Amino acid sequence: MRRADRIAGAGLLALAIAFSAGALKYYTYTGPGGPGSAFLPFWLGVVMAALALMLLAGALRAPDPGPGWLPRGEGLRRLLLVLGVTVAFVALLPVVGMILGTALFLIVLLRLLDRSPWPLALAVAAATAGLNYLVFTYWLRVPFPTGVLGI
Amino acid sequence: MDFLSNLALGFSVALTPFNLVMAFAGVIVGILIGALPGIGPPSGVALLLPLTFGMEPTSGIIMLAALYAGSMYGGTITAVLINTPGESASVVTCLDGYQMALQGRAGAALGIAAAGSFVAGTCGVVLLMLVSPALARWSLSFGPPETFALMLLGLTTVTLLTGDNALKGYISMVLGLMLAMVGFDIIAGDARYAFGVPELMDGVDFLPVAIGLFGLGEVLAGAEEAAGARMVQGRVTVREVMPAAADWVRSRWAIARGTVLGFLVGLLPGAGPTVASFLAYTVEKKVSRRPQDFGKGAVEGVAGPESANNAAATAAMVPMLTLGIPGSATTAIMLGGLMMWGLRPGPLLFEKNPQFVWGLIASQYIANVMLLILSTAFIPLFVRALRLRYTILMPLIIVFCITGAYSLKNSLWDVGQMLVFGVIGYAMKKLGYSPAALVLALVLGPLAERALRQSLIISDAGLGIFFLRPISAVLTVAALVAIAVPVVRAVVAAWRNRAGGLAA
Repeated sequence: MRRADRIAGAGLLALAIAFSAGALKYYTYTGPGGPGSAFLPFWLGVVMAALALMLLAGALRAPDPGPGWLPRGEGLRRLLLVLGVTVAFVALLPVVGMILGTALFLIVLLRLLDRSPWPLALAVAAATAGLNYLVFTYWLRVPFPTGVLGI
Repeated sequence: MDFLSNLALGFSVALTPFNLVMAFAGVIVGILIGALPGIGPPSGVALLLPLTFGMEPTSGIIMLAALYAGSMYGGTITAVLINTPGESASVVTCLDGYQMALQGRAGAALGIAAAGSFVAGTCGVVLLMLVSPALARWSLSFGPPETFALMLLGLTTVTLLTGDNALKGYISMVLGLMLAMVGFDIIAGDARYAFGVPELMDGVDFLPVAIGLFGLGEVLAGAEEAAGARMVQGRVTVREVMPAAADWVRSRWAIARGTVLGFLVGLLPGAGPTVASFLAYTVEKKVSRRPQDFGKGAVEGVAGPESANNAAATAAMVPMLTLGIPGSATTAIMLGGLMMWGLRPGPLLFEKNPQFVWGLIASQYIANVMLLILSTAFIPLFVRALRLRYTILMPLIIVFCITGAYSLKNSLWDVGQMLVFGVIGYAMKKLGYSPAALVLALVLGPLAERALRQSLIISDAGLGIFFLRPISAVLTVAALVAIAVPVVRAVVAAWRNRAGGLAA
């Protein structure tokens, strides 16, 4: 946690400085009759910088590293698996389309995450994709990406 | 009487078949969302909001309000049965509810919670009905300084009350405000921090952010932990849900106290059902003649907090509807919904859209009756639904997050934004930051900035204007006190540490 706080503190400090500097450089601090578009962003950056410094100071003085928070082993594997498959699903949406994509996503994740039996994975995938089509495409007329198959 | 004709109008709206179905669907989905770990009321409301865009706003808010009420009860089911609160307002219910379950009295705990929720929810609506119009009329006199001071108070109290680390809470809040600065400036017309990206010029939409932080973020955190276990084992029958006469006698005053306390806490900007339930538990333990029973299955320890959280969820609608200031992440998302439907929350809502306001109020009565029926007669069904494996639930929630984010504006940009904030939400949760403060700040940011700048434009005394007008002075001082509390606490702790270090 101590290390995470140091990294977060440094990152937020950099962000705050860039935010305030950007506000002063590109927008106006005093507008017609009152504060302009840079006024609040500038001060938000100042407040954030102060908060980030407090976080940094606390993390630098902390006597022990504190409990670890980074996932490892099995937990890390599962986290990366879920995240990876989700990102792949979104990236491939324009190609495979929402309905087919939903079904594939569920089958892949259910098989890899839990080794769900094939019949269960297929049933959940078919039911969800069907419901998804019924509610969003048919009823609410949401124009989902259709992909190469046209559904 | 004015009020009865308004209520009659409300019931005529709420009793249309479509709105009844919406309230019913809201309660059922709410119970499930509240019960399922890894998905709470804010993500539930954020995920269902896109579904309501094709409807009348009144039907939409009826469904979302019913969902909020249902979720308060749903969290109880898992708290009692598996010692895992489905949402944060049921954390204290675990203490005595789970002990009751271990003694074979799970049904009684759930039954008392259902009864308390019904009483508190119904009384909450009565109070909502009495308080809101008066508050709305009073707030008509609010100018920009009062509005800004009230928003500042809401933001600081949420930050103070939702996280366990005040510094990280404030960092989350300021981050939310910084995100709110992105996009066209309402007064000067600059496209701030947009870097030429058209999607950013319209600002950072809070809904994909909320879906990411609360939906995907929670799932990712759950993915790391959950093994393939079933969430709930065992069964509950309908007969068990009927509490014994002795339980009623012990709980009636706990329910009454929880209702009043919950409503008062819920009214405050920033303090929602979670705070109310913790306070109610403390009060019950203080007034009880058998404080030693608490933590060992005292029925009052379930009845008080469960009543309080339902009363608070109802009361939280009051500042949202009358002042346009949400008190929690969930009401912040509802407020966003209101604005997307083209309604302006605040005092004029009561005059311009009576069928919306009173339809919502009347539907809350109906939703509470539905909740009572569903939570007693159909509890065994909900318990069975909870036997679903978490590993099956997780991918389903992700699919819902993606479909929900896409259907807001039919844009893949929003889906990408949802993914990014899902990862941020995971990190915030793990590192002790407060996603609720971020979302609230993102929703209030543009409104607060406008109020601040208008105040300064009309002011002759610079920032002094916030202290020169009586109402805004009280609110501003309250907000400053809220900011000072954690600072003072930290200084005192540091001083004590040093003194302790010297003594040792």
